Amino acid sequence: MIAPRPYALLAEITYRCPLHCPYCSNPMKARNDQELTTNEWTRVIREAAALGVLQIGFSGGEPLARRDLPDLVRVAREANLYTNLITSGIGLDDDRVRALRDAGLDSVQLSFQSDNTDLADEIAGARAHQRKLDAAAKIRAAGIPLSLNFVIHRRNIDRLAEMIALAESLQAERVELANVQFYGWAFLNRAALLPTREQVVRAREIATAAKARLTGKIDIFYVLPDYYENRPKPCLNGWGQRYLTVNPIGEVLPCPTASSAIPDLRFENVRERALDWIWRESESFNRFRGTEWMPEPCQSCPQREIDFGGCRCQAALLTGNAANTDPVCDLSPNRARVDAVLNELNSSSDDARDWIYRANPKTLPTLEQVT
Amino acid sequence: MQTPTIAGSAQPTLTRGVRLQTDSKTGNSVLLFPEGVLELNETAQDIVSRCDGRTVGDIIQTLAEEYDVDLEMLAVDVRQTLADLQRRKLIELT
Repeated sequence: MIAPRPYALLAEITYRCPLHCPYCSNPMKARNDQELTTNEWTRVIREAAALGVLQIGFSGGEPLARRDLPDLVRVAREANLYTNLITSGIGLDDDRVRALRDAGLDSVQLSFQSDNTDLADEIAGARAHQRKLDAAAKIRAAGIPLSLNFVIHRRNIDRLAEMIALAESLQAERVELANVQFYGWAFLNRAALLPTREQVVRAREIATAAKARLTGKIDIFYVLPDYYENRPKPCLNGWGQRYLTVNPIGEVLPCPTASSAIPDLRFENVRERALDWIWRESESFNRFRGTEWMPEPCQSCPQREIDFGGCRCQAALLTGNAANTDPVCDLSPNRARVDAVLNELNSSSDDARDWIYRANPKTLPTLEQVT
Repeated sequence: MQTPTIAGSAQPTLTRGVRLQTDSKTGNSVLLFPEGVLELNETAQDIVSRCDGRTVGDIIQTLAEEYDVDLEMLAVDVRQTLADLQRRKLIELT
């Protein structure tokens, strides 16, 4: 199989983070190996650019936890990459904003848990909201384009209009309202996070109206919880087609959630192999590349190059086999598993369920205590 | 498709945070922006590379001379491309 050219690298530079969100994208069992050094990341970034990558997202964990972030941004800019910082904003003081701007940072995606301070801090498991508001002001003042990222779930979906209003008042250029997708921590907390059908219908109306009202002013991206869809999402635009992720310990992943969702997949490490080889030749990148691996009903489906059979991680988590059709698809023999989850939620009157934080803070800690 | 109404005196510029760059893999122009890459065809590239403070009227005039095509037809193409880019928030019209 001839490997296409990748467009974007997600650089997860650390698993460290002062927040404890119950849908954290860190693996459930983050390995404690040594993080890649500045020199190792420099090599990875240059190799990615040589492969054709045009975009880099610095993420984590909280990428600001690494002091060398401005150095890495500079390396990426020198390699002609478009540089995004995906951050909670915690730790973004005036000096760091200036250092990042001077390094050539192109854009910041700032995460918010809610527009409401109490709810936001409860979701984050830390007193973070006010700090995020301060960070947004600093980013604006530095003239760096700002996107707001909201992870949407049952506890905050009813405040969609207010969250959009917050994005307007912070003069964000772009706002992403992405319903949580169920992997890792979010999968563990699914019963507490999955919104009801009624909530989803209302939220979609609000998002559609706001999109129309703010056209040309703020770009609004609304992502449905895919359990409520009938056809799967075109996950990653196809496995090993456009994206690659390098995690804090140097493993190269076709998908950021694959390391915990697909246990039998072995990932190569940039400490042992060149990125080019891993992208083109490795078993992990080739396992689901293209369409040959597809079972029925995908193999003969006219949609197969549109949705690529959906998400491998979701297939693994819900059916036990990553090569199955994403069970969100109503043509999948396993769709009943998704419906069972939805039916249970929507027929129950029990609204408030507890979630498990990434680490269990006994009380709401201040950030000084957490870090 | 209806021709978008964009005044000839409007000045299109790239939105802050949007970068026009040559893709070293293909030699073609691309627009880079948060979470996105847009590959430009030749016409779009010719238009976007002139979004530097000139008016829409000027851009149409210059391209008409370069392409040696009908001014009216070209004006429709340019306005449609600009409207599409504006809808995606990749350019601003002032």
